[in-house]
Amino acid sequence: MTRAVDMPHPTPVAAAPSRGEPIVAARDLVKRYGDVVALDGVSFGIYDGITGILGENGAGKSTAIKIFLGLLEPTSGTAIVLGEDASTNVEVRGKLGYMPEHDCLPTTVTAAEFLTHMAEVTGLPPLRARTRAADTLRHVGLFEERYRAIGGYSTGMKQRVKLAQALVHDPRMVFLDEPTAGLDPAGREEMLDLVRKTHREFGISILFSSHLMSDVERTCDRIVVLQGGALVQAGEVSDLTSETESVFIEVDANQDALLTELEARGVEATVAAGGIHVENADAAAYDRIRDAIVAAEAPLRRLAPQRRALTELFTPEDPPMATEVAS
Amino acid sequence: MTGPSVATGDAVGRGDGTVFDIGYQRYDGPREGRGRARLAVFKDGVRMALGWGRGGRAKILPWSFIGVMVLIGFILALVAGAALLFGGPDAVEQIPSHSDFYGITSIFILVFAAVVAPELLCPDRRNGVINLYLVRPLTGSDYILARWVAFLVVSLIVAWLPQFVLLIGRVMGNPDPAAYLRDNWLDLPRILAAGAAIALFTTTLAMLVAAFASRRAYAAVFLVGLFAVTAPFTAALSAEVEGTVGQWIGLFTLSNIPVHVNDIIFGEVSEVTGSSPTSELSATILVSWYLLWVVVPGVILWARYRKLTP
Repeated sequence: MTRAVDMPHPTPVAAAPSRGEPIVAARDLVKRYGDVVALDGVSFGIYDGITGILGENGAGKSTAIKIFLGLLEPTSGTAIVLGEDASTNVEVRGKLGYMPEHDCLPTTVTAAEFLTHMAEVTGLPPLRARTRAADTLRHVGLFEERYRAIGGYSTGMKQRVKLAQALVHDPRMVFLDEPTAGLDPAGREEMLDLVRKTHREFGISILFSSHLMSDVERTCDRIVVLQGGALVQAGEVSDLTSETESVFIEVDANQDALLTELEARGVEATVAAGGIHVENADAAAYDRIRDAIVAAEAPLRRLAPQRRALTELFTPEDPPMATEVAS
Repeated sequence: MTGPSVATGDAVGRGDGTVFDIGYQRYDGPREGRGRARLAVFKDGVRMALGWGRGGRAKILPWSFIGVMVLIGFILALVAGAALLFGGPDAVEQIPSHSDFYGITSIFILVFAAVVAPELLCPDRRNGVINLYLVRPLTGSDYILARWVAFLVVSLIVAWLPQFVLLIGRVMGNPDPAAYLRDNWLDLPRILAAGAAIALFTTTLAMLVAAFASRRAYAAVFLVGLFAVTAPFTAALSAEVEGTVGQWIGLFTLSNIPVHVNDIIFGEVSEVTGSSPTSELSATILVSWYLLWVVVPGVILWARYRKLTP
C-alpha cells in the first residue's frame, strides 16, 4: 500500500548569510532629473542574502534598483552588479531578475506561455524554457492555474506571476520592487513567505524594496535605509535592533526599591506600562539587574528582553517615514 | 505552502507510481544570451501579428486580411483563365496582372499594417511588459529591430502570398504552363522585389505610428485616416494645379508611394498610378522619395526605442 506523506522542504541552500564581497555595490551614486535629486551620492554594498531597501515614496529606492539593472544611467558614480555595470554589459542581466512595482503582465496569454517566453528572452533554449516555466510556476503555487490567461488572475496571483518571471531563468540575484504592494494581509504574508523561500531554499540573493518597515524587518537579513535620496542607515537588521534591546521587569512588590537599587548600580531604568524598562541592556546589565532584584527583595513576576522594532528605531529622526508607516 | 504528497518506500518494487519532490533545481543548462533573446522577441512578434497562441478574436483581423488578399489573387487568376478560354491571349492582356496587383491592393496592405502592427508594440508599453524585456540581455535597439523584422516577415507573407496564388493560377490556366513560365519568368523576381518594397514601406510607417500611440486603436485610426485623407486630397490638388507642381503634390499620396516603385520594377505604370501626374516624374525621384519614407521613419522608430536603455 502506498502511503502519502507531506514532503518537507529541502535543506536550505543558503540559510546562513555570509558577508564576503558585495554582489551589488553603489559608489557615490547620483541621479538627477533636472532639478530633482533622486539619489544624492549614496554608497553601499549588498551581500548574499535578503537585503531590504527601505524608504518612503520618492526616497530613491526604485531609482537605485533601475540603475543597478541598467535601465537608468546615473548622473555620476558607479553601480556594479555581480562585478559588472549592467548598463554597458547586457549579458550580465541574464543573471538578474526583476519584479517591478507596477503592472508588467500581458493579459491575453497564459502564465505558462508568458514565462516560457520570458525564459527564452533571457537566453534559455525553448525546450528548457518550457520546463523551467512549469517548475517555477509550481514553486510560486500557480501550477494548477498555469494555462489560464493572466488577465483573469487575482492581484495576488498576478504578483506571483511577476515573481515567477523574475525567477524563471534561475538568476543569481533578484530585485523585488515593492512586492507586497496592493496585497491584502493574507496575500502579503504569502508573498513574504515566497520571498524568504526564494533565498533560503533556492539560494537566490534578493534586494527587496519596501516602504513598510514591518515587511523588511520580518524578511530581510540586512537593510539599506534611504530618505530623500540620501543614505540614512545600512547594516544587519539584527545589529540595528540589538543595539536598542531593552529589558522589561515586572515585580509584585518593592518596585520603588528596585528602581533605587538599579540606579545605585548604574542601570538606567524607567517606569512604563506597569513595569520597569531598562534600555540598551547588554550582558553585564543583566547581572546588575539580577543583583538589584535580590537587594530590593522584589518578588519577580517577569523579566523579559524586548527588541525594538525598526519602526521605533527610525521614527524619532524621520517623521515623514513614521507617517508613511502609520498610514 | 506544504510540499506535494509523495510515496514512501512501501511502494518500491510493487510497480506503483512514485512521485518525488526534488525541490528547487538550479538551472545549469545553456544560456544563449542576446541572440536567443532577439530570436524570442522576433518569434513572439510573428505569433502576435498572426494571432497564434491567442484566442480566436486575435486571429480574426490578420487572417481576414490575408484571406481577402488571397481571394483577390485567386479571382484575378480565375478571370485571366476565363479570358484566355473565351477571348484568347489579347483578352488576357486587358486583365489586371502582377504589375497591377499592388496598385489594386496597396490600400488593403496599408490597412492591414495599420491595424495589426500596433499589436506588436502598444500592449508591451501599455502593460509594462517592455520593462521586463529591457532588464534581460536585450537592448531597446534589439527589441525594436526584432519586432520590426517580425512584422516585416508577416507583411511579406501578406504581400507575396496572393501574388503567388495569381502566378500559380495563371500558369495552371495556360494551355502550356512551361511556355508561360519561360516567357514570364521575370515576374517572379519582380513580384519578390515589389512585394518587399510595399512591405518595407507599410511595416516601417505602421511601426512608427504604433511606437508613439498608447493604444492599438489610436494608431490604427491615425494611420488609416492619414491614408484616407491624403489620397483624395492630394489627387484632387495635383489635378487642379497641374504641371510640375501638381506632380510633386501627388508624391504625398502616401498609398501610392510604394506603387510607383512597383511600376518601376515592372517597367509599366499600373492602373492606379496611371491617372496620377506623379508617375511622370523620373525613377530616381520616385525611388528617392520612397527611400526617404522608409529610412526616416525607420531612424525615428529606432531612436524612440534606443533611448529606453542607456
